[in-house]
Amino acid sequence: MKVKLKSENVYIACVSLLGVLLFMNHLNPQVEDLSNWVLIYTLVGAILLLNHFNIIIPLSGNTLSMDSSIYLAGLFLFGLKIPLLALGVSSIVFLMIRFKLAWWKHLFNFANYSLMLICTYYTFILTGGTVGETDFPNIMPYALSLSVYFILNVMIMWVYFYLAQKPSLKTIIRTAFQKQLIQEVFTSYLCTLVLALVLTILISQQPIFGIFLFLTLAIMLSFAFKNFFNLYKEEEAKAKRDFLTGLYNHGYFKLRLDEMLSENQKKPFCVALLDLDDFKKYNDANGHIQGDALLKFFGTFMLEKTKDNPFIAARYGGEEFGLVLPDVSKRDAFTFLNKIRKEINDTYFTGVEHSPQGCISFSAGIVEYENGTYSSSELLSKADKALYFAKSQGKNVIQVYKEDQVYHQDCQFAKEIDALEQQLQIFLSKDVYTYQHSKRVFFYATEMSERLNLSIEERRTLILGALIHDIGKLEIPRDIINKKGKLDPHEWEMMKKHVIYGKEIISSIKKYDELLPLIELHHERYDGKGYPYGLKEANIPKLARILCIIDSFDAMTTERPYQKTKTFTEGITELRTCAGHQFDPHYVEPFIQMIQENYGDKLAGE
Amino acid sequence: MVFDGILIAIIIGFIRGGSFKKFADIRCKMGWVFPVLLLLQLVIFYFQNKVEWVGQVSNLSFMFIYVVGLTFLWVNRHHPHFVTIFVGVLLNFIVMAINGGRMPVSLEEAAVIDPQYMEATKNALYAKHTLVTESTKLALLGDIIPLSAPYPREQAISIGDVVMNIGVFLFIQSVMVRKKDKLIASKTTL
Repeated sequence: MKVKLKSENVYIACVSLLGVLLFMNHLNPQVEDLSNWVLIYTLVGAILLLNHFNIIIPLSGNTLSMDSSIYLAGLFLFGLKIPLLALGVSSIVFLMIRFKLAWWKHLFNFANYSLMLICTYYTFILTGGTVGETDFPNIMPYALSLSVYFILNVMIMWVYFYLAQKPSLKTIIRTAFQKQLIQEVFTSYLCTLVLALVLTILISQQPIFGIFLFLTLAIMLSFAFKNFFNLYKEEEAKAKRDFLTGLYNHGYFKLRLDEMLSENQKKPFCVALLDLDDFKKYNDANGHIQGDALLKFFGTFMLEKTKDNPFIAARYGGEEFGLVLPDVSKRDAFTFLNKIRKEINDTYFTGVEHSPQGCISFSAGIVEYENGTYSSSELLSKADKALYFAKSQGKNVIQVYKEDQVYHQDCQFAKEIDALEQQLQIFLSKDVYTYQHSKRVFFYATEMSERLNLSIEERRTLILGALIHDIGKLEIPRDIINKKGKLDPHEWEMMKKHVIYGKEIISSIKKYDELLPLIELHHERYDGKGYPYGLKEANIPKLARILCIIDSFDAMTTERPYQKTKTFTEGITELRTCAGHQFDPHYVEPFIQMIQENYGDKLAGE
Repeated sequence: MVFDGILIAIIIGFIRGGSFKKFADIRCKMGWVFPVLLLLQLVIFYFQNKVEWVGQVSNLSFMFIYVVGLTFLWVNRHHPHFVTIFVGVLLNFIVMAINGGRMPVSLEEAAVIDPQYMEATKNALYAKHTLVTESTKLALLGDIIPLSAPYPREQAISIGDVVMNIGVFLFIQSVMVRKKDKLIASKTTL
């Protein structure tokens, strides 16, 4: 196997080797005076403590350890031997304490310090500095050696990051000249260097007690800065959170979305807008405090569902929620949202049983980012359109934005559809499931009519008939329609009459005469076992046979809270089994094809 | 010195709002070892200058006590900071082992301290100490760190003692003070 050498690894090896060799060369463990060992122990203790109680610089979160001051002061006062020994001992202790850190990082760090110390020492000596002097007759050697220390430190680390990340020239220049970064680096180094001089004076007067004082000061500062930093973090977190739900707030959501757009990435991502269904009604019925509790509950639910993904869930406003799904295609986004929609449907919350859906539910619109999307508001308005479309289908639905779907109003029967929808809206208060069912059957029928070779007249009849086919259920008492569990025989008889009632309602309007067979006969079966007349095969009008398939398929796959229902795949299987008995076999396959092509995302999610 | 460390740790533990209750939950393997060792040490301590043979084997017996103590610490190393205590004791053990079972004490550092203590040290059989001489090996691990005023009890200690005391301190803190979960921290991890 060929081992590929990475340049940063070679670099680390070289620096480490150089540092260790220089260290070995200068190391002299013979310390004549035992009190020097006490000094070394003190320095090591100070270095360890300073590393533990480091100072977190607010905003960036970078840490500043003041151990460099200790090394430098030791260097100026005692020469090379004592700081090097202290470095050796503290490196061993670090190796034991931070055993989880990779060994080469320990080695690199050690070599880094040893290189810096040795070079600084020689600069100090060569520029005329004297070890142990505290009068500072000439400040030059100190200033120069401190600069060497600083420059070496920056260079060694910088070359490593350059090799490891290989940034482009543009990024290098941009990061190198960030005002904040330069300011931070410069001040923190200056701070360390000045402290080194302060410490030199302190230690020369009172070695142990001086270091003790210095440490006390450093630890106090560390606590103060840590508190400050925590406060900053806390406030920062609060500033981007919505207080009630714990989700991100509107501002942060928009900000992140704009950031994602400006990154101009090639990976897909989706944006979804969610809206709790009938929240106003819930509020009116249960009071605003309970409404807040529901929002909070939903917020926690969203947090729970998104915590394992990089999704950004936010409260967009009122009872609207926003979701950014990075690296997710619209199909997966649909699957995800549909799953959590069903989950929240099955989750009970106080007072929700009186809402029209009988459960907590939301509608959502999804839009996938495409290259060339102009702005975040464009994405959001598309998602909003899809959301409104979902709402118009009777709520508790997820819709993916498609160019054409939202503009179905443009189609040639728009006016008539609108008129019939007015009639249908009575169901919203009586039986929302029939409303949703009618809307879905209407969409299936629209898609079916494009697929089959129908005349314009037939298309109109099928589409309008599908929309209005269950209108007769208006006459059925609510107790029967909303009854949970099996219907009694006499109730069932009444239920069957809805086809007759429907016919009577619509027959009062002359221009809808063509729809009457569909309304009256959509429960006839191909084998003659249907109602109301028990017609057989070709005796049933063609459009009624088609509507029967659509109607049955939707009835099978309609989901209800707290109940298991057939999935689309199971529905398709059921259609195939019943083809020739209940359904006209000519139209079953085209319908299944349509479902597979247009609702693939739903099939895939099962 | 160990008792000083324990006392300081307990006081600071109380200041930080800790309590003794958690000590009841500590489960140690070979828990009987500790009191037995203490007793044995006291017995030798008491008799070594009175009964001759005890004095002669005292070096060896101290070594034995260290080995048993180290074993005890090692089998219980799952407790927080027991490894630190172990390292501290080990450092002391090493320097004693290569210097004939006695802890070398630096004469200069001892001079800071009570002259009587130094006299007794020179007389060899006091406790378990000996003076640092030219032949002392690894003197850097010996009792060379002077504790003097403002510290209330003047004595010389070794780096092993320091490490051990840090371990004892951290262990007592970790038992007495339980960290409360921070609300903010859990909230920010989305």
